[in-house]
Amino acid sequence: MPPEHIMKSYDEELSRLNNMIVEMGGLAEAQLSSAIEAVAKRDSALAASVVEGDAQVDDLQRELDNLAIRLLALRQPMARDLREIFAALKIGADLERICDYAANVAKRSIALSQTPPIQPVHALPRMGTLALALVKDVIDAYVERDADKALEVWRRDEELDEMYSSLFREFLTYMMEDPRNIGACTHLLFMAKNIERIGDHATNIAEDLYYLVHGTPLTEVRPKGDKSSLEVVAPDRTAR
Amino acid sequence: MTDTTANLPGTARVLHPMTDAVPPSSAATQEATVKPIATALSDPKVSIKDVHFHYGAYHALKGITLPLQDHRVTAFIGPSGCGKSTLLRILNRIYELYPNQTVSGEVLVDGENILASGIDLNLLRAKIGMVFQRPTPFPMSIYDNIAFGIRLYEKLPKSELDDRVELALQRAALWTEVKDKLRQSGSGLSGGQQQRLCIARAIAVKPKVLLLDEPASALDPISTQRIEELIAELKADYCIAIVTHNMQQAARSSDFTAFMYLGELVEFGETERIFTHPKERRTEDYITGRFG
Repeated sequence: MPPEHIMKSYDEELSRLNNMIVEMGGLAEAQLSSAIEAVAKRDSALAASVVEGDAQVDDLQRELDNLAIRLLALRQPMARDLREIFAALKIGADLERICDYAANVAKRSIALSQTPPIQPVHALPRMGTLALALVKDVIDAYVERDADKALEVWRRDEELDEMYSSLFREFLTYMMEDPRNIGACTHLLFMAKNIERIGDHATNIAEDLYYLVHGTPLTEVRPKGDKSSLEVVAPDRTAR
Repeated sequence: MTDTTANLPGTARVLHPMTDAVPPSSAATQEATVKPIATALSDPKVSIKDVHFHYGAYHALKGITLPLQDHRVTAFIGPSGCGKSTLLRILNRIYELYPNQTVSGEVLVDGENILASGIDLNLLRAKIGMVFQRPTPFPMSIYDNIAFGIRLYEKLPKSELDDRVELALQRAALWTEVKDKLRQSGSGLSGGQQQRLCIARAIAVKPKVLLLDEPASALDPISTQRIEELIAELKADYCIAIVTHNMQQAARSSDFTAFMYLGELVEFGETERIFTHPKERRTEDYITGRFG
């Protein structure tokens, strides 16, 4: 850690900012973890608690924004301090969004649990667990200010993208095989997309952390594994 | 040299301020619009080379080397006693007013070493104007404060002298405030106005370089902003060096920043980089308020 500021209260405020990010990160992990569990166990009560819990994250983000604005206005931060605050603002926004997606997955799981279980549901928690690992690791990297660890997360998102692509195809096949699956599979598609987006926000956080540590933006092009937007459904070829 | 780009369709012909009337290639034009600071780097107005300075036995500057770019503001920051004001005082050899002070190294202004013997100090100080922390108006009228310096170097008819005084006061953004009281004493002006009067006095003798040693530290925030705005306008005509303890001021008003500590130049670079990601730990600690 860098040496302390001459003004101790400045250090206290920066440390509070840091703690708020860590707290939001912890909440994001918990929300996502519960959402995945709700899907796997068809647990509507748990899902409802995730949906309700989202407000807490929103409150935290507002508080974080206020503190960051206050620091910018009153401390006129420079160099690493400036990057700390800039990164906190951006990471806070990403964590809030991750929680929104987790809440959305939970909400759809309530609808899903009212339809008969279908086979591809099992793939969703697997995808969720990978997204959860990305979120967890990027928060750990933030706590340790470890840009290399952040870079690993940034690269691993490709795996999540590929999982999403293959799930996308799987859901399409199910829908074509039996139109009665369309309702459930549509929910599942959105849920898978939400989880895929969570991975993207984890990579955003990794990029912010990289900038925070190095002072220069990450300019590499991120490997992308999601090819689903290029998929075309051709019923004459897939119909059996 | 023929201009091969001028007749190409879609090629805008842009005049290049650094290379007189020679039209640049379109690639060079693009370079100039994208990175104006980098392109100017090759041609410094002032080159400070391995400058050492002693106050008696005290080694106050230890081998300072850096360029001052024309039409750019270079800020010198660092804790008290780091040598930044001393460096400024070398640039117009004001230090020679005091005994037991010795300097070595070179300071090239337009290629000429101003530390060499045989340099006319009066001409040097006209060429390199300086403004100090406290406003230092001469005990005479506003008009004479400006005219005094011009009369030292040039014999002008009254009407031309009037024009020069007006021009200097206009360049220093003071004309509209004083044009009806030019015969009143300069010391009757407010602190901020006095400081602008001193800047007008410095630019009246057509200097090449302007040295500003804490020019706004004794001023209120409004007057400070006027001075900073003035600096931004004046850099179109001059090479400007400013010493300041106000980090925000350095960040706001300079293109390049030099951080000095204990007589050494710790880091020098573009202001934006110095204040967002300095390379040196000591710079980082100083500008973020961690200096022990």
